[in-house]
Amino acid sequence: MRRGLAACVAALLFLPAILPSASRARADSQVTLQLFLGKINTPPTAQATLMKRLIATFEKQNPNISVNYSVYASASEETTTLETSLATHSGPNLFEFGSTIVPVADSTGGFASLSAQDWTAIGGESRFFPAQLTMSGPSADKRMAVPEYMLPFALLYNTAMFKAAGIHTPPTNWTDFVTDAQKLTIPSKNQWGVAMDPSDPFDPWHILWVLTRQMGGNFVTPDLKTATLNSAPVLGAATFWFDWLTKFKIADPTDVTFKAPDQLAAFEQGHAAMLVMQGPTLIPSLNTSPVKSEYAYAPMPTVPYGMKSMPKSGVPVQTFISGQYYAIPSYAPNRAATLKWIKFVTDVPQQQLFFQYYGYMPANLAAYQGYAPLSTPVIKAFVAAENHAFPTPFTGAWGPVEVAVGAASAKVAGAIGTNSYHQGDLQSSLQSVNAEVQKALVGH
Amino acid sequence: MREAAGMSERSGRVVPPGGGRRARALRRPPFFLLWPSAALLCLIVLLPFAIGVYTSFTGLNQYTISHWSSAPFIGWQNYVDSFTQGDALGATLLQSAWASISFALATTAIILPIGIVAALLMNRPFPGRGMVRSLFLVPFVMPTFVNAITWRLLFMNNWGLIDRLLSTLHLASANTYWLIGPNTFWAMVLADVWASWPFVYLLTLAGLQQISDELYEAATIDGANGPAMFFQVTLPLLRPILGLAILLSTLNHYNNFTLPFVMFGTPPPTQVDVLPVNVYVTSFQLFNLGGGAAMSLITLLIMLVPAFFYIRLVRLGEGAA
Repeated sequence: MRRGLAACVAALLFLPAILPSASRARADSQVTLQLFLGKINTPPTAQATLMKRLIATFEKQNPNISVNYSVYASASEETTTLETSLATHSGPNLFEFGSTIVPVADSTGGFASLSAQDWTAIGGESRFFPAQLTMSGPSADKRMAVPEYMLPFALLYNTAMFKAAGIHTPPTNWTDFVTDAQKLTIPSKNQWGVAMDPSDPFDPWHILWVLTRQMGGNFVTPDLKTATLNSAPVLGAATFWFDWLTKFKIADPTDVTFKAPDQLAAFEQGHAAMLVMQGPTLIPSLNTSPVKSEYAYAPMPTVPYGMKSMPKSGVPVQTFISGQYYAIPSYAPNRAATLKWIKFVTDVPQQQLFFQYYGYMPANLAAYQGYAPLSTPVIKAFVAAENHAFPTPFTGAWGPVEVAVGAASAKVAGAIGTNSYHQGDLQSSLQSVNAEVQKALVGH
Repeated sequence: MREAAGMSERSGRVVPPGGGRRARALRRPPFFLLWPSAALLCLIVLLPFAIGVYTSFTGLNQYTISHWSSAPFIGWQNYVDSFTQGDALGATLLQSAWASISFALATTAIILPIGIVAALLMNRPFPGRGMVRSLFLVPFVMPTFVNAITWRLLFMNNWGLIDRLLSTLHLASANTYWLIGPNTFWAMVLADVWASWPFVYLLTLAGLQQISDELYEAATIDGANGPAMFFQVTLPLLRPILGLAILLSTLNHYNNFTLPFVMFGTPPPTQVDVLPVNVYVTSFQLFNLGGGAAMSLITLLIMLVPAFFYIRLVRLGEGAA
């Protein structure tokens, strides 16, 4: 009995030495990747269906790699997970970021630049739209993010309403935009020239940045050290945008509470003839809406209101460089497996699947060749817009820029809606925004 | 009663009163059994709290998050900025604290009489009482985010049910804004009142069922009518439990993040820019984590003040007066 007891004790002592070896052997042969992706809401089941298909195909090609994913439903959730993962050095193997969050991620120092070998493993930088690569990193030799798909923005308009109003072509400058919108506005029929979403937490900076650049300004100086949100071009851009409600009266006054889904609903229900700064992600929803055969996209107007040509320092921006990017955090293991996944989803067949399921435009140039669904007039309009796309300032303070501009927009819209807006409120809001962004710029 | 000294049968030594050191040790409560719980408490409460205090004195932001332990030490600057500079809306900590305190007090003040009346009604048997009691709990068990989304839809201007009802009754315009502007505060209060009154109702009902019927019989014999019995018998005996309900309710509403976050989005209108949302926006959207930690600590200190006074006022833990 004593010998038996001794044998048990010896076995227990040696067991920890045996088990980890067994588990290590299993770990070496099986890698699990955890992806963190943006949630695709329209169509509702598209993401689950496509990811299931992609993962099955990838795992079949790579039997030792299994892939799981989780999604974030908002930019808040995206940045919260980013911060907690970097602080704890544990989390997803791969993050999917919007183009304007890439600089924020880069500023954390938690993402290493991709080496030449990394780019070779992915398939090479030359496979991507060159404009998209400008948001991959602060410079060409410090790129830390890989373009996944691109989301340029354009003007969405209702072709039937345009025809009924006798308007033959969409506006190419803002003066014509206002004139056309006024023709399209019939308040008695609850029909408005344009819908707005000033209470959306993130959309307002899209239109305000484009208008500001066209007027010759920017949100920060070129050296990325000084905020310029209190400058004349920004004030001019914001004033013009809110004039759609107050002066030109081409937008429904109730739009002051609108977020992005509300303005889309207004367009799809035939209450608005135009939406500005809209991307191809709306296509699946538009194609099942009452206006499915009555919509089209056109490049955004560029010449500022009241002018006959671009001002001297103005830039004919139609859209900012926009899309989704993959980035590998430095803490994450299994880098080689992660690069394999990135190469897989940026290959032509998968890029075309993204468009088929989500309406997202491929970042891979070759995906457009000989593929009929990507040769339609709608897509060609977006490709043309991408050729007039300009990068937003590559600064880690861009996250606070988005939040602060959204806050100011919501505050001013609320004041307008409740008849409590006073002269100078917009300017003081922009001063607060500027101070907030300046704090973020000097924070490092 | 002290035990008498005696002889130990084994050693022959005189055993002192109380049975000796070993006996005294055996009679002591086994505090060592608390060590695992204490260790867990330190790990999940005290340690994060200490890290939060440390973070509040550093300039932790998106530039230093990946090596947070070496974020620069900036002393009291985060605390000063909280009071003077505000968030993206310009709402300072004091403005947000006022929004939180007003919201907590207003909601508690409204749900208290509702909960008490509902408990008094449910304390008497009637046909279908069980079903009614279950229905009363529906708002309480509904997830907060579902409640917030539902009320957001109800409060949408022009087509929301609230605007349509008020305009039908000629009480307000069909185009009244509840999700922006000064009405946002009362929209949030109404949504939280609907969800939280069952909490007071449940606690009060539990308290009522502990009151002996003999006290009511004695009061009846003494000639007390309904209101007199309520104010002279019921309310004094409910005082401890109502005090607890007020305290917990106030703290719960003060800390409510989900309702304003889902109902109004971020950043919310100034009137509903309550402290939890302000801390969230500061930390996770403006990436000012040091500032968010400072605001969190100040929030905690503010919370402790009413908690201290409530506990002393209602003498929680002591018997009923």
